[in-house]
Amino acid sequence: MDVQASSQPAVAVPAQEARKAAQALGRLLAATPQYQAFLEALRALDADLDVQRLGVEMRSHQIPLQWGQDADGQHAAALERLQQELEAVPVVQRYRQAEAAVRQLFVAVDAVISQEAGVAFAVNARRSGCSCGQ
Amino acid sequence: MTSMAKEIREAAAELGRSLRREGPVLAYLEAEQAFRSCGEAVELEQRLYSLYETLMARQRQGEQLSREEVQAFHELRRQVQSHPIVSERDRALQAAKPHLAEVADEISVALGIDYTSLARPEE
Repeated sequence: MDVQASSQPAVAVPAQEARKAAQALGRLLAATPQYQAFLEALRALDADLDVQRLGVEMRSHQIPLQWGQDADGQHAAALERLQQELEAVPVVQRYRQAEAAVRQLFVAVDAVISQEAGVAFAVNARRSGCSCGQ
Repeated sequence: MTSMAKEIREAAAELGRSLRREGPVLAYLEAEQAFRSCGEAVELEQRLYSLYETLMARQRQGEQLSREEVQAFHELRRQVQSHPIVSERDRALQAAKPHLAEVADEISVALGIDYTSLARPEE
């Protein structure tokens, strides 16, 4: 009987060296003031009742929009107004600032990884919901 | 430029160097080098990017592109994608992506969030 290996391309498992280097970098990034501030802002965001209320209201307009049920544009207008209201909430503004700071750090870190690796790292490492692995 | 602690810079550089030694990344770098060495492939791809930018700029200004122009763009794109050197580079990059994702997962686990979503400029 002719037994053949699966025709699926094998995904090479990263060597321990790369895994360990990634773990070490992850631990260092997790301990940075920027990342800690980001986590704190995220927790505050999750606990804010105004934000939760606005989120519920926004979803009630997003669903009809997704179903194409907004002939008069009322849902789109309401969504825009709620988005503006959300962005004006102090805890959201603090979150945006913290997110921008941590993003700036991570983008700079990623540039170093990519430079040394010879390939853009984060943009090519991103997982998608597509089963094609793209 | 963002200030970065020395130990973070060194850890990032170490990760990059270790990735460069990994099989799928090495294969991509070789394919990329072959592409860079092929004047025809480079010229073809540059023509495609240049045409894309030109057409997009005209479209942004409200200009309606002709069917012939759009067809010419698609034909050029087909030529680029079917060029053996280009397609080998693209295939090698696609093959390296799951490998890179596995490594990025290690960072994400340490952070508790997806590293790749925060390590790219906001879209």
